[in-house]
Amino acid sequence: MNNQEAKTILALFRPGSPDEADPSFHEARQMAKTDPELARWFDAHCEAYLLLRRQFQSIPIPPGLKEQILSERKIHRPLFQRYWRPLLAVAAVVVFLVSIDFVFSPFHGVKDRYAAYSKRMVESALKGYNMDVTTTDPLQIRDYLKEHHAPAAYSLPAGLKTAPLVGCAVSSWQGNPVSMICFKSGRPLPPAAQSDVWLFVTSRQTLARASPPASPSVDRVSKAITASWSDGQNDYLLAVVGNEALLRKYLQ
Amino acid sequence: MPGPDFETVVADYHEPLYRFAISLTRSEADACDLVQQTFYMWATKGHQLRDAAKVKSWLFTTQYRAFLESRRTVTRFPHSELIETDPELPVILPEAARQLDAMQAVEALAQIDAVYRAPVALFYLEDYSYQEIADVLAVPIGTVKSRLARGLAQLKHIFAGSNPSRSQPRGKHE
Repeated sequence: MNNQEAKTILALFRPGSPDEADPSFHEARQMAKTDPELARWFDAHCEAYLLLRRQFQSIPIPPGLKEQILSERKIHRPLFQRYWRPLLAVAAVVVFLVSIDFVFSPFHGVKDRYAAYSKRMVESALKGYNMDVTTTDPLQIRDYLKEHHAPAAYSLPAGLKTAPLVGCAVSSWQGNPVSMICFKSGRPLPPAAQSDVWLFVTSRQTLARASPPASPSVDRVSKAITASWSDGQNDYLLAVVGNEALLRKYLQ
Repeated sequence: MPGPDFETVVADYHEPLYRFAISLTRSEADACDLVQQTFYMWATKGHQLRDAAKVKSWLFTTQYRAFLESRRTVTRFPHSELIETDPELPVILPEAARQLDAMQAVEALAQIDAVYRAPVALFYLEDYSYQEIADVLAVPIGTVKSRLARGLAQLKHIFAGSNPSRSQPRGKHE
């Protein structure tokens, strides 16, 4: 490396910068330590560099630039980014209120759940169905239900014990078996209908907190009138196409 | 790990970015616009940056690209290697540097060819390594050094009161 080559390299050297550790400058800097003319040139270069650097770094910043940038940011930021804290707080309050409602108003949701169950069962009966077993033998019905893991140890109200049996089917509610026992009231049936009185029995665990009370509760579901009760082991839903008087006849 | 918040980034970097911007644009209004555009891009895309240590480099790179995009001159900047530079070495004398204030320094920088302005500005303004300058400008290190050498040579002539020939660089075009 001659003097001229060293100057070519050192012209790009910046004192006090990462160039101090840059090996590409090492040899030229070493040479400047032994070459007096190169050393003077290098000193002048470094001094001029530091003077100019100081001048460039003192370029005045327009007053208000920072504030202008920050205010532009507020204009351009999406709504959620600008208000994420208050929005998050509102969301937390909503979740809290929903939780409170769930904890302290259990019957609200329970009513809905039982209504959905009774509606599904009644409408499945009214729309027509295929009985799994057609028989008038109550023992055969219980055997079939037991065999298919549906509630078979049910207790019939006195009025139903004497009602003519037609058969049974196994339905389900949220994955739990529901026994469907079919009767005839003795009144004329619509065409293709096989029964007009149905008793749905499911384990108390199926509906859990939505279980009906021990005393029959009468309601109207679709075109049927229903009575719902629980004996502590099973939940019962009796549906009759007719009036409340007919329904109460089976509950006696 | 969450990155720095917007206000911290603005507080830390708006001044060096402005100085770089005015070195490029030669106009206070254009420089302010460029800095604001850079921070706007940071606000919308900065979250994609995984390494918080690279915020500054990201901002300078983004600002330089935005400048090129605004001037649409990127394709007119040929790459050239140091060996092709003017044999006259850029030696700026301390006496010349002492006679300048900050705005005169900016005025002098504004007179050199645009293609050399960014590397010369980064040469004086920041403590970037040459590799980092190359990353910001998206050119090879050799090109950075050759542009810098030519830019410094022009600056020397400007300080000496004579405007050198500012035609197309004579370097090897890529």
